[in-house]
Amino acid sequence: MQIYLPIAEMSINIFLLLFMGGGVGFLSGMFGVGGGFLMTPLLIFIGVPPAVAVATEANQITAASVSGALAHGRRGGIDYKMGSVLIAGGAVGSYFGSMLFTILKATGQVDLMISLSYVVFLGGIGGMMFVESVRSILRNRRGDKPIAGRRPRTWIDALPFKMRFRASKMYISAILPLAIGGLVGVLAAIMGVGGGFIMVPAMIYLLNMPINVVIGTSLFQITFVTASVTFLHSVNTQTVDVMLALILLTGAVIGAQVGARVGLKLKGEQLRILLAILVLVVCGKMAVDLVSEPDEVYSITPVGRSH
Amino acid sequence: MHIFRLLLCGGMFFSHQVRAERMVTDLSSHAIEITSQFSGTELMIFGAIERAITQSRGQNIVVEGIDYDIIVVVQSGRHDVVVRRKEMIGPIWANKAFRTLKDVQGYYAVTTTRPISQILTPEQQRLLGAGIDRLKIDFKEPVSKEEEKNFRAGFIRNMKAKKLYSQQEGTISVLDDILFRAILYFPANMPVGDYQVEVHLVRDGEVILSQQSSLEVGKKGLERLIYNFAHESPAYYGIMAIILALSAGWLGGFVTRKM
Repeated sequence: MQIYLPIAEMSINIFLLLFMGGGVGFLSGMFGVGGGFLMTPLLIFIGVPPAVAVATEANQITAASVSGALAHGRRGGIDYKMGSVLIAGGAVGSYFGSMLFTILKATGQVDLMISLSYVVFLGGIGGMMFVESVRSILRNRRGDKPIAGRRPRTWIDALPFKMRFRASKMYISAILPLAIGGLVGVLAAIMGVGGGFIMVPAMIYLLNMPINVVIGTSLFQITFVTASVTFLHSVNTQTVDVMLALILLTGAVIGAQVGARVGLKLKGEQLRILLAILVLVVCGKMAVDLVSEPDEVYSITPVGRSH
Repeated sequence: MHIFRLLLCGGMFFSHQVRAERMVTDLSSHAIEITSQFSGTELMIFGAIERAITQSRGQNIVVEGIDYDIIVVVQSGRHDVVVRRKEMIGPIWANKAFRTLKDVQGYYAVTTTRPISQILTPEQQRLLGAGIDRLKIDFKEPVSKEEEKNFRAGFIRNMKAKKLYSQQEGTISVLDDILFRAILYFPANMPVGDYQVEVHLVRDGEVILSQQSSLEVGKKGLERLIYNFAHESPAYYGIMAIILALSAGWLGGFVTRKM
Protein backbone atom coordinates (compact mmCIF):
# COMPACT_ATOMS: atom_id res chain seq x y z
CA MET A 1 0.00 0.00 0.00
CA GLN A 2 1.44 3.34 -1.08
CA ILE A 3 1.32 6.32 1.21
CA TYR A 4 1.98 9.92 0.25
CA LEU A 5 4.23 11.82 2.67
CA PRO A 6 3.07 15.44 2.83
CA ILE A 7 6.41 17.10 3.65
CA ALA A 8 8.81 14.76 1.85
CA GLU A 9 6.37 15.05 -1.11
CA MET A 10 6.83 11.50 -2.23
CA SER A 11 4.81 8.35 -2.42
CA ILE A 12 6.24 5.30 -0.74
CA ASN A 13 5.16 1.84 0.37
CA ILE A 14 3.95 2.04 3.97
CA PHE A 15 5.09 -1.53 4.69
CA LEU A 16 8.64 -0.67 3.66
CA LEU A 17 8.61 2.17 6.20
CA LEU A 18 7.12 -0.04 8.92
CA PHE A 19 9.70 -2.71 8.13
CA MET A 20 12.54 -0.16 8.34
CA GLY A 21 11.16 1.20 11.60
CA GLY A 22 10.88 -2.33 12.95
CA GLY A 23 14.35 -3.33 11.76
CA VAL A 24 16.08 -0.29 13.20
CA GLY A 25 13.94 -0.61 16.35
CA PHE A 26 15.05 -4.23 16.65
CA LEU A 27 18.72 -3.25 16.39
CA SER A 28 18.34 -0.37 18.79
CA GLY A 29 16.57 -2.61 21.29
CA MET A 30 19.26 -5.25 20.91
CA PHE A 31 22.22 -2.90 21.20
CA GLY A 32 20.63 -0.31 23.47
CA VAL A 33 21.31 2.55 21.06
CA GLY A 34 18.95 5.15 19.66
CA GLY A 35 19.08 4.05 16.05
CA GLY A 36 19.04 7.52 14.51
CA PHE A 37 22.46 6.96 12.97
CA LEU A 38 21.00 3.97 11.09
CA MET A 39 17.59 5.36 10.24
CA THR A 40 18.70 8.68 8.76
CA PRO A 41 21.06 7.07 6.21
CA LEU A 42 18.43 4.43 5.41
CA LEU A 43 15.84 7.12 4.71
CA ILE A 44 18.34 8.87 2.46
CA PHE A 45 19.11 5.61 0.63
CA ILE A 46 15.40 5.07 -0.17
CA GLY A 47 15.09 8.57 -1.62
CA VAL A 48 13.79 10.79 1.17
CA PRO A 49 15.42 14.23 0.77
CA PRO A 50 18.34 14.30 3.26
CA ALA A 51 17.09 17.47 4.97
CA VAL A 52 13.68 15.86 5.58
CA ALA A 53 15.33 12.64 6.76
CA VAL A 54 17.41 14.48 9.37
CA ALA A 55 14.62 16.68 10.73
CA THR A 56 12.04 13.89 10.81
CA GLU A 57 14.43 11.50 12.49
CA ALA A 58 15.01 14.05 15.28
CA ASN A 59 11.25 14.07 15.78
CA GLN A 60 11.12 10.28 15.89
CA ILE A 61 13.98 10.09 18.40
CA THR A 62 12.08 12.39 20.77
CA ALA A 63 9.36 9.75 20.84
CA ALA A 64 11.80 6.85 21.06
CA SER A 65 13.76 8.32 23.97
CA VAL A 66 10.93 9.68 26.13
CA SER A 67 9.60 6.29 27.20
CA GLY A 68 13.13 5.14 28.08
CA ALA A 69 13.78 8.35 29.99
CA LEU A 70 10.52 7.94 31.93
CA ALA A 71 11.39 4.35 32.81
CA HIS A 72 14.87 5.31 34.03
CA GLY A 73 13.40 8.27 35.92
CA ARG A 74 11.08 6.00 37.86
CA ARG A 75 14.06 3.86 38.83
CA GLY A 76 16.02 6.93 39.93
CA GLY A 77 18.44 6.48 37.05
CA ILE A 78 18.57 10.14 36.02
CA ASP A 79 20.92 12.79 37.37
CA TYR A 80 18.57 15.72 36.73
CA LYS A 81 21.15 18.37 37.57
CA MET A 82 23.69 16.87 35.18
CA GLY A 83 20.88 16.39 32.65
CA SER A 84 19.96 20.08 32.87
CA VAL A 85 23.54 21.18 32.30
CA LEU A 86 23.76 18.85 29.28
CA ILE A 87 20.43 20.20 27.99
CA ALA A 88 21.62 23.79 28.38
CA GLY A 89 24.63 22.92 26.23
CA GLY A 90 22.40 20.97 23.85
CA ALA A 91 20.00 23.88 23.39
CA VAL A 92 22.85 26.18 22.32
CA GLY A 93 24.39 23.46 20.15
CA SER A 94 21.13 22.61 18.41
CA TYR A 95 20.50 26.29 17.74
CA PHE A 96 23.85 26.74 16.00
CA GLY A 97 23.54 23.36 14.30
CA SER A 98 20.15 24.32 12.93
CA MET A 99 21.49 27.69 11.71
CA LEU A 100 24.34 25.94 9.94
CA PHE A 101 21.83 23.48 8.48
CA THR A 102 19.62 26.30 7.18
CA ILE A 103 22.53 28.17 5.59
CA LEU A 104 23.90 25.02 3.96
CA LYS A 105 20.45 24.06 2.70
CA ALA A 106 20.17 27.43 1.00
CA THR A 107 23.58 27.04 -0.62
CA GLY A 108 22.99 23.46 -1.71
CA GLN A 109 25.64 21.92 0.51
CA VAL A 110 23.44 20.31 3.16
CA ASP A 111 23.49 16.82 1.63
CA LEU A 112 27.25 16.90 1.44
CA MET A 113 27.56 18.01 5.06
CA ILE A 114 25.20 15.25 6.23
CA SER A 115 27.19 12.60 4.37
CA LEU A 116 30.54 13.97 5.51
CA SER A 117 29.49 14.09 9.17
CA TYR A 118 28.24 10.53 8.93
CA VAL A 119 31.44 9.28 7.38
CA VAL A 120 33.61 11.06 9.96
CA PHE A 121 31.59 10.23 13.08
CA LEU A 122 30.41 6.74 12.19
CA GLY A 123 33.88 5.86 10.88
CA GLY A 124 35.55 7.12 14.04
CA ILE A 125 33.10 5.62 16.53
CA GLY A 126 32.67 2.36 14.63
CA GLY A 127 36.43 1.93 14.31
CA MET A 128 37.01 2.65 18.00
CA MET A 129 34.23 0.30 19.06
CA PHE A 130 35.55 -2.45 16.84
CA VAL A 131 39.12 -2.19 18.16
CA GLU A 132 37.93 -1.91 21.74
CA SER A 133 35.65 -4.94 21.61
CA VAL A 134 38.24 -7.09 19.83
CA ARG A 135 40.75 -6.12 22.53
CA SER A 136 38.40 -6.93 25.37
CA ILE A 137 37.58 -10.32 23.85
CA LEU A 138 41.31 -11.08 23.60
CA ARG A 139 41.78 -9.90 27.19
CA ASN A 140 39.02 -12.22 28.38
CA ARG A 141 40.59 -15.14 26.54
CA ARG A 142 43.91 -14.52 28.24
CA GLY A 143 42.09 -14.13 31.55
CA ASP A 144 43.47 -10.65 32.29
CA LYS A 145 41.37 -8.51 34.59
CA PRO A 146 40.95 -4.79 33.93
CA ILE A 147 42.75 -2.77 36.58
CA ALA A 148 40.25 -1.12 38.87
CA GLY A 149 41.00 1.94 40.92
CA ARG A 150 40.64 5.65 41.23
CA ARG A 151 40.91 7.65 38.08
CA PRO A 152 44.09 9.65 37.98
CA ARG A 153 43.72 13.43 38.13
CA THR A 154 43.78 15.03 34.69
CA TRP A 155 43.27 18.41 33.00
CA ILE A 156 39.52 17.91 33.52
CA ASP A 157 39.88 18.48 37.26
CA ALA A 158 41.71 21.74 36.65
CA LEU A 159 38.77 23.41 34.86
CA PRO A 160 36.93 26.22 36.69
CA PHE A 161 33.18 26.62 37.47
CA LYS A 162 32.89 23.45 39.50
CA MET A 163 29.46 22.10 40.37
CA ARG A 164 28.30 19.38 42.70
CA PHE A 165 26.22 16.61 41.14
CA ARG A 166 24.70 14.63 44.01
CA ALA A 167 23.05 11.85 42.03
CA SER A 168 26.36 11.12 40.28
CA LYS A 169 28.42 11.76 43.43
CA MET A 170 30.69 14.08 41.50
CA TYR A 171 32.21 17.52 41.92
CA ILE A 172 33.41 18.68 38.53
CA SER A 173 33.54 21.70 36.27
CA ALA A 174 30.31 22.52 34.40
CA ILE A 175 32.31 23.40 31.30
CA LEU A 176 32.85 19.82 30.18
CA PRO A 177 29.19 18.65 30.39
CA LEU A 178 28.16 21.92 28.69
CA ALA A 179 30.61 21.25 25.86
CA ILE A 180 29.51 17.63 25.51
CA GLY A 181 25.84 18.70 25.48
CA GLY A 182 26.66 21.36 22.91
CA LEU A 183 28.42 18.94 20.57
CA VAL A 184 25.52 16.50 20.85
CA GLY A 185 23.10 19.34 20.09
CA VAL A 186 24.99 20.24 16.93
CA LEU A 187 25.08 16.61 15.82
CA ALA A 188 21.36 16.16 16.52
CA ALA A 189 20.58 19.16 14.34
CA ILE A 190 22.81 18.29 11.39
CA MET A 191 22.75 14.48 11.45
CA GLY A 192 19.32 13.56 12.83
CA VAL A 193 20.78 11.45 15.60
CA GLY A 194 20.15 11.44 19.33
CA GLY A 195 23.88 11.54 19.93
CA GLY A 196 23.88 8.76 22.49
CA PHE A 197 26.80 7.14 20.70
CA ILE A 198 28.93 10.19 21.55
CA MET A 199 27.39 11.14 24.87
CA VAL A 200 27.41 7.76 26.60
CA PRO A 201 31.15 7.11 26.05
CA ALA A 202 31.87 10.75 26.92
CA MET A 203 29.94 10.46 30.19
CA ILE A 204 31.65 7.21 31.11
CA TYR A 205 35.23 7.94 30.06
CA LEU A 206 35.49 11.74 30.25
CA LEU A 207 33.16 12.62 33.12
CA ASN A 208 33.52 9.29 34.95
CA MET A 209 29.85 9.21 35.78
CA PRO A 210 28.49 6.12 37.56
CA ILE A 211 27.09 3.64 35.01
CA ASN A 212 23.65 3.48 36.71
CA VAL A 213 22.81 7.10 35.84
CA VAL A 214 24.56 7.31 32.45
CA ILE A 215 21.86 5.82 30.20
CA GLY A 216 18.93 7.51 31.96
CA THR A 217 20.59 10.93 31.97
CA SER A 218 21.58 10.59 28.33
CA LEU A 219 18.01 9.65 27.33
CA PHE A 220 16.71 12.57 29.41
CA GLN A 221 18.99 14.95 27.53
CA ILE A 222 18.24 13.39 24.13
CA THR A 223 14.48 13.82 24.63
CA PHE A 224 14.85 17.54 25.19
CA VAL A 225 17.53 18.22 22.61
CA THR A 226 15.76 16.35 19.79
CA ALA A 227 12.56 18.19 20.74
CA SER A 228 14.46 21.45 20.38
CA VAL A 229 15.87 20.29 17.02
CA THR A 230 12.37 19.34 15.84
CA PHE A 231 11.13 22.81 16.70
CA LEU A 232 14.06 24.61 15.06
CA HIS A 233 13.86 22.61 11.82
CA SER A 234 10.09 23.10 11.69
CA VAL A 235 10.54 26.84 11.94
CA ASN A 236 13.64 27.26 9.77
CA THR A 237 13.27 24.76 6.97
CA GLN A 238 9.81 23.11 7.30
CA THR A 239 11.35 19.69 6.88
CA VAL A 240 9.71 17.73 9.72
CA ASP A 241 7.31 15.13 8.30
CA VAL A 242 5.09 14.00 11.18
CA MET A 243 3.41 11.39 9.02
CA LEU A 244 6.76 9.74 8.26
CA ALA A 245 7.85 10.03 11.90
CA LEU A 246 4.69 8.34 13.17
CA ILE A 247 4.94 5.42 10.73
CA LEU A 248 8.61 4.82 11.58
CA LEU A 249 7.79 5.06 15.27
CA THR A 250 5.06 2.44 15.08
CA GLY A 251 7.50 -0.04 13.58
CA ALA A 252 10.26 0.96 15.99
CA VAL A 253 8.19 0.41 19.16
CA ILE A 254 7.47 -3.18 18.18
CA GLY A 255 10.97 -3.86 16.86
CA ALA A 256 12.64 -2.52 19.98
CA GLN A 257 10.77 -4.98 22.21
CA VAL A 258 11.82 -7.98 20.15
CA GLY A 259 15.37 -6.64 19.88
CA ALA A 260 15.70 -6.15 23.62
CA ARG A 261 14.75 -9.80 24.22
CA VAL A 262 17.21 -11.11 21.62
CA GLY A 263 19.93 -8.82 22.98
CA LEU A 264 19.71 -10.43 26.42
CA LYS A 265 20.81 -13.75 24.93
CA LEU A 266 24.00 -12.38 23.36
CA LYS A 267 27.28 -11.50 25.04
CA GLY A 268 28.30 -7.86 25.45
CA GLU A 269 31.47 -8.06 23.36
CA GLN A 270 29.78 -9.94 20.55
CA LEU A 271 27.04 -7.34 20.49
CA ARG A 272 29.54 -4.52 20.34
CA ILE A 273 31.48 -6.13 17.48
CA LEU A 274 28.24 -6.63 15.54
CA LEU A 275 27.22 -3.03 16.17
CA ALA A 276 30.68 -1.79 15.17
CA ILE A 277 30.48 -3.74 11.89
CA LEU A 278 27.01 -2.34 11.21
CA VAL A 279 28.20 1.20 11.86
CA LEU A 280 31.21 0.70 9.59
CA VAL A 281 29.05 -0.71 6.78
CA VAL A 282 26.73 2.34 6.85
CA CYS A 283 29.76 4.62 6.97
CA GLY A 284 31.41 2.74 4.08
CA LYS A 285 28.31 3.03 1.89
CA MET A 286 28.17 6.79 2.49
CA ALA A 287 31.89 7.17 1.81
CA VAL A 288 31.64 5.25 -1.46
CA ASP A 289 28.71 7.44 -2.55
CA LEU A 290 30.80 10.53 -1.85
CA VAL A 291 33.83 9.53 -3.92
CA SER A 292 32.24 7.65 -6.80
CA GLU A 293 31.20 9.61 -9.84
CA PRO A 294 27.44 10.22 -9.71
CA ASP A 295 25.26 9.07 -12.63
CA GLU A 296 23.84 12.55 -12.86
CA VAL A 297 26.06 15.45 -11.85
CA TYR A 298 23.26 17.99 -12.15
CA SER A 299 20.59 18.33 -9.49
CA ILE A 300 17.68 20.70 -9.05
CA THR A 301 16.15 22.58 -6.13
CA PRO A 302 12.98 24.60 -6.48
CA VAL A 303 13.20 28.05 -4.88
CA GLY A 304 10.48 30.40 -3.75
CA ARG A 305 7.70 27.94 -4.30
CA SER A 306 4.39 29.51 -3.54
CA HIS A 307 1.35 27.49 -2.77
CA MET B 1 -15.66 19.98 -60.33
CA HIS B 2 -15.22 23.58 -61.34
CA ILE B 3 -17.68 24.67 -58.77
CA PHE B 4 -15.91 22.65 -56.12
CA ARG B 5 -12.54 24.21 -56.93
CA LEU B 6 -14.09 27.62 -56.85
CA LEU B 7 -15.59 26.94 -53.49
CA LEU B 8 -12.29 25.68 -52.18
CA CYS B 9 -10.50 28.80 -53.42
CA GLY B 10 -13.18 30.93 -51.95
CA GLY B 11 -12.83 29.03 -48.74
CA MET B 12 -9.13 29.72 -48.60
CA PHE B 13 -9.68 33.33 -49.42
CA PHE B 14 -12.26 33.89 -46.73
CA SER B 15 -10.19 31.82 -44.38
CA HIS B 16 -11.73 31.53 -40.97
CA GLN B 17 -15.26 32.69 -41.53
CA VAL B 18 -15.85 30.27 -44.29
CA ARG B 19 -13.68 27.24 -43.56
CA ALA B 20 -14.43 26.85 -39.92
CA GLU B 21 -13.38 23.64 -38.27
CA ARG B 22 -14.75 23.24 -34.84
CA MET B 23 -13.17 21.44 -31.94
CA VAL B 24 -14.63 20.39 -28.62
CA THR B 25 -12.33 19.17 -25.86
CA ASP B 26 -12.58 18.12 -22.26
CA LEU B 27 -10.59 16.43 -19.51
CA SER B 28 -11.52 13.27 -17.70
CA SER B 29 -11.18 15.33 -14.54
CA HIS B 30 -10.64 19.01 -13.82
CA ALA B 31 -9.01 18.47 -10.46
CA ILE B 32 -6.36 16.13 -9.15
CA GLU B 33 -6.47 15.55 -5.43
CA ILE B 34 -3.33 14.46 -3.64
CA THR B 35 -4.56 12.33 -0.78
CA SER B 36 -2.60 10.03 1.53
CA GLN B 37 -2.95 7.16 -0.92
CA PHE B 38 -1.87 9.22 -3.93
CA SER B 39 0.80 7.52 -6.01
CA GLY B 40 0.51 9.36 -9.30
CA THR B 41 -2.38 9.41 -11.71
CA GLU B 42 -3.40 9.49 -15.35
CA LEU B 43 -5.51 12.10 -17.01
CA MET B 44 -7.37 11.72 -20.27
CA ILE B 45 -7.77 14.67 -22.58
CA PHE B 46 -10.31 13.98 -25.28
CA GLY B 47 -12.26 15.82 -27.91
CA ALA B 48 -13.84 15.87 -31.32
CA ILE B 49 -13.00 17.73 -34.51
CA GLU B 50 -15.75 18.86 -36.80
CA ARG B 51 -14.17 18.88 -40.20
CA ALA B 52 -16.94 20.70 -41.98
CA ILE B 53 -16.08 23.30 -44.56
CA THR B 54 -19.02 25.59 -44.47
CA GLN B 55 -19.73 28.12 -47.07
CA SER B 56 -21.81 31.20 -46.69
CA ARG B 57 -24.99 29.68 -48.00
CA GLY B 58 -24.95 27.18 -45.19
CA GLN B 59 -24.18 24.07 -47.24
CA ASN B 60 -21.62 21.68 -45.86
CA ILE B 61 -19.01 20.08 -48.07
CA VAL B 62 -16.80 17.48 -46.50
CA VAL B 63 -13.35 17.35 -48.01
CA GLU B 64 -11.48 14.10 -47.72
CA GLY B 65 -7.73 13.79 -47.47
CA ILE B 66 -6.91 16.77 -45.31
CA ASP B 67 -4.75 15.74 -42.40
CA TYR B 68 -5.27 17.18 -38.99
CA ASP B 69 -2.77 16.97 -36.18
CA ILE B 70 -3.36 17.46 -32.50
CA ILE B 71 -0.83 18.78 -30.03
CA VAL B 72 -1.66 18.68 -26.32
CA VAL B 73 0.46 20.68 -23.89
CA VAL B 74 -0.03 20.48 -20.13
CA GLN B 75 1.97 22.70 -17.82
CA SER B 76 1.97 23.74 -14.19
CA GLY B 77 2.63 27.13 -12.66
CA ARG B 78 6.14 28.52 -12.90
CA HIS B 79 8.80 29.20 -10.32
CA ASP B 80 12.56 29.57 -10.12
CA VAL B 81 14.74 26.51 -9.91
CA VAL B 82 18.38 26.27 -8.90
CA VAL B 83 20.39 23.79 -10.93
CA ARG B 84 23.64 22.65 -9.33
CA ARG B 85 26.49 20.69 -10.80
CA LYS B 86 28.66 18.30 -8.83
CA GLU B 87 32.37 18.59 -9.46
CA MET B 88 35.40 16.84 -8.05
CA ILE B 89 36.71 18.69 -5.02
CA GLY B 90 39.69 16.69 -3.88
CA PRO B 91 38.51 13.09 -3.71
CA ILE B 92 34.80 13.82 -3.30
CA TRP B 93 31.99 14.91 -5.57
CA ALA B 94 30.31 18.05 -4.28
CA ASN B 95 27.90 20.66 -5.62
CA LYS B 96 29.92 23.52 -7.01
CA ALA B 97 28.66 25.51 -9.99
CA PHE B 98 25.04 26.58 -10.02
CA ARG B 99 22.64 28.64 -12.13
CA THR B 100 19.12 29.82 -11.39
CA LEU B 101 16.52 29.17 -14.04
CA LYS B 102 13.80 31.81 -14.14
CA ASP B 103 10.13 30.88 -14.07
CA VAL B 104 10.21 27.34 -15.37
CA GLN B 105 7.31 24.95 -15.33
CA GLY B 106 7.33 22.42 -12.49
CA TYR B 107 5.42 20.03 -14.72
CA TYR B 108 5.40 19.97 -18.50
CA ALA B 109 4.02 17.34 -20.82
CA VAL B 110 3.48 17.42 -24.54
CA THR B 111 1.86 14.74 -26.60
CA THR B 112 1.08 14.68 -30.31
CA THR B 113 -0.39 12.66 -33.13
CA ARG B 114 2.90 12.52 -35.07
CA PRO B 115 6.55 13.41 -34.44
CA ILE B 116 6.39 17.08 -33.62
CA SER B 117 9.09 18.03 -36.14
CA GLN B 118 6.78 16.78 -38.91
CA ILE B 119 3.91 18.93 -37.66
CA LEU B 120 5.49 22.30 -36.96
CA THR B 121 8.70 24.16 -37.75
CA PRO B 122 11.13 24.79 -34.89
CA GLU B 123 10.09 28.45 -34.88
CA GLN B 124 6.42 27.55 -34.55
CA GLN B 125 7.22 25.12 -31.76
CA ARG B 126 9.07 27.86 -29.92
CA LEU B 127 6.17 30.30 -30.27
CA LEU B 128 3.67 27.71 -29.13
CA GLY B 129 5.88 26.38 -26.33
CA ALA B 130 5.41 22.90 -27.73
CA GLY B 131 8.27 20.47 -27.35
CA ILE B 132 10.72 20.11 -24.51
CA ASP B 133 13.69 21.08 -26.68
CA ARG B 134 11.99 24.31 -27.74
CA LEU B 135 11.05 25.50 -24.25
CA LYS B 136 12.14 29.01 -23.42
CA ILE B 137 14.44 28.83 -20.42
CA ASP B 138 16.01 32.01 -19.07
CA PHE B 139 18.89 32.26 -16.64
CA LYS B 140 19.14 34.71 -13.76
CA GLU B 141 22.92 34.79 -13.81
CA PRO B 142 24.97 35.59 -16.89
CA VAL B 143 25.84 32.36 -18.64
CA SER B 144 27.98 31.38 -21.59
CA LYS B 145 26.46 29.56 -24.57
CA GLU B 146 28.25 26.37 -23.61
CA GLU B 147 27.13 26.48 -19.97
CA GLU B 148 23.60 27.42 -20.97
CA LYS B 149 23.45 24.25 -23.04
CA ASN B 150 24.88 22.11 -20.21
CA PHE B 151 22.66 23.48 -17.44
CA ARG B 152 19.59 23.35 -19.63
CA ALA B 153 20.26 19.73 -20.56
CA GLY B 154 20.99 18.84 -16.92
CA PHE B 155 17.77 20.46 -15.80
CA ILE B 156 15.70 18.65 -18.40
CA ARG B 157 17.34 15.29 -17.64
CA ASN B 158 16.45 15.75 -13.95
CA MET B 159 12.86 16.67 -14.71
CA LYS B 160 12.48 13.75 -17.13
CA ALA B 161 13.92 11.35 -14.54
CA LYS B 162 11.37 12.59 -12.01
CA LYS B 163 8.71 12.08 -14.73
CA LEU B 164 7.82 15.76 -14.37
CA TYR B 165 8.72 16.55 -17.99
CA SER B 166 7.60 14.27 -20.76
CA GLN B 167 7.21 14.29 -24.50
CA GLN B 168 5.27 11.55 -26.23
CA GLU B 169 5.08 11.88 -29.96
CA GLY B 170 2.53 9.95 -31.98
CA THR B 171 0.62 8.69 -28.96
CA ILE B 172 -2.61 10.61 -29.45
CA SER B 173 -5.08 8.25 -31.03
CA VAL B 174 -7.59 9.63 -33.49
CA LEU B 175 -10.71 7.68 -34.27
CA ASP B 176 -12.32 8.11 -37.69
CA ASP B 177 -10.54 11.45 -38.07
CA ILE B 178 -13.02 12.85 -35.58
CA LEU B 179 -12.47 11.69 -32.03
CA PHE B 180 -9.10 12.03 -30.38
CA ARG B 181 -7.78 10.96 -27.05
CA ALA B 182 -4.52 11.74 -25.21
CA ILE B 183 -3.45 10.17 -21.95
CA LEU B 184 -0.96 11.94 -19.70
CA TYR B 185 0.76 10.68 -16.60
CA PHE B 186 1.22 12.73 -13.43
CA PRO B 187 3.72 11.43 -10.86
CA ALA B 188 3.24 11.61 -7.09
CA ASN B 189 5.84 14.36 -6.77
CA MET B 190 3.93 16.72 -9.08
CA PRO B 191 3.80 20.32 -7.85
CA VAL B 192 0.46 21.60 -6.62
CA GLY B 193 -1.31 24.60 -8.10
CA ASP B 194 -3.23 25.54 -11.22
CA TYR B 195 -2.29 23.73 -14.40
CA GLN B 196 -3.01 24.80 -17.94
CA VAL B 197 -4.11 22.34 -20.58
CA GLU B 198 -3.82 23.48 -24.20
CA VAL B 199 -5.09 21.54 -27.19
CA HIS B 200 -3.92 22.75 -30.60
CA LEU B 201 -5.43 21.66 -33.87
CA VAL B 202 -2.93 21.86 -36.72
CA ARG B 203 -3.59 21.61 -40.45
CA ASP B 204 -0.99 21.97 -43.16
CA GLY B 205 1.62 23.21 -40.72
CA GLU B 206 -0.65 25.88 -39.31
CA VAL B 207 -2.31 26.05 -35.94
CA ILE B 208 -5.93 26.67 -36.79
CA LEU B 209 -7.58 26.21 -33.43
CA SER B 210 -6.40 26.31 -29.82
CA GLN B 211 -8.38 25.56 -26.73
CA GLN B 212 -7.41 26.05 -23.13
CA SER B 213 -8.76 24.53 -20.01
CA SER B 214 -7.53 24.54 -16.46
CA LEU B 215 -6.67 21.74 -14.12
CA GLU B 216 -6.42 22.17 -10.40
CA VAL B 217 -3.93 20.12 -8.43
CA GLY B 218 -4.11 20.29 -4.66
CA LYS B 219 -3.42 18.32 -1.55
CA LYS B 220 -6.57 17.12 0.13
CA GLY B 221 -7.60 15.91 3.55
CA LEU B 222 -4.89 15.12 6.06
CA GLU B 223 -2.13 15.78 3.50
CA ARG B 224 -3.36 19.30 2.93
CA LEU B 225 -3.83 19.90 6.64
CA ILE B 226 -0.29 18.80 7.51
CA TYR B 227 1.35 20.60 4.60
CA ASN B 228 -0.45 23.89 5.17
CA PHE B 229 0.06 23.73 8.91
CA ALA B 230 3.80 23.15 8.47
CA HIS B 231 4.20 26.06 6.07
CA GLU B 232 1.73 28.58 7.48
CA SER B 233 2.41 28.29 11.19
CA PRO B 234 5.76 26.48 11.46
CA ALA B 235 6.25 27.25 15.16
CA TYR B 236 2.93 25.70 16.17
CA TYR B 237 3.60 22.82 13.82
CA GLY B 238 6.92 22.20 15.57
CA ILE B 239 5.25 22.24 18.98
CA MET B 240 2.55 19.89 17.68
CA ALA B 241 5.22 17.52 16.31
CA ILE B 242 6.96 17.49 19.71
CA ILE B 243 3.72 16.85 21.63
CA LEU B 244 2.78 14.14 19.15
CA ALA B 245 6.19 12.47 19.56
CA LEU B 246 6.12 12.72 23.35
CA SER B 247 2.64 11.24 23.63
CA ALA B 248 3.37 8.53 21.05
CA GLY B 249 6.57 7.61 22.90
CA TRP B 250 4.84 7.61 26.26
CA LEU B 251 1.99 5.51 24.87
CA GLY B 252 4.45 3.09 23.25
CA GLY B 253 6.29 2.67 26.53
CA PHE B 254 3.03 2.21 28.39
CA VAL B 255 1.78 -0.45 25.96
CA THR B 256 5.04 -2.40 25.91
CA ARG B 257 5.29 -2.41 29.71
CA LYS B 258 1.95 -4.22 29.77
CA MET B 259 3.11 -6.74 27.20
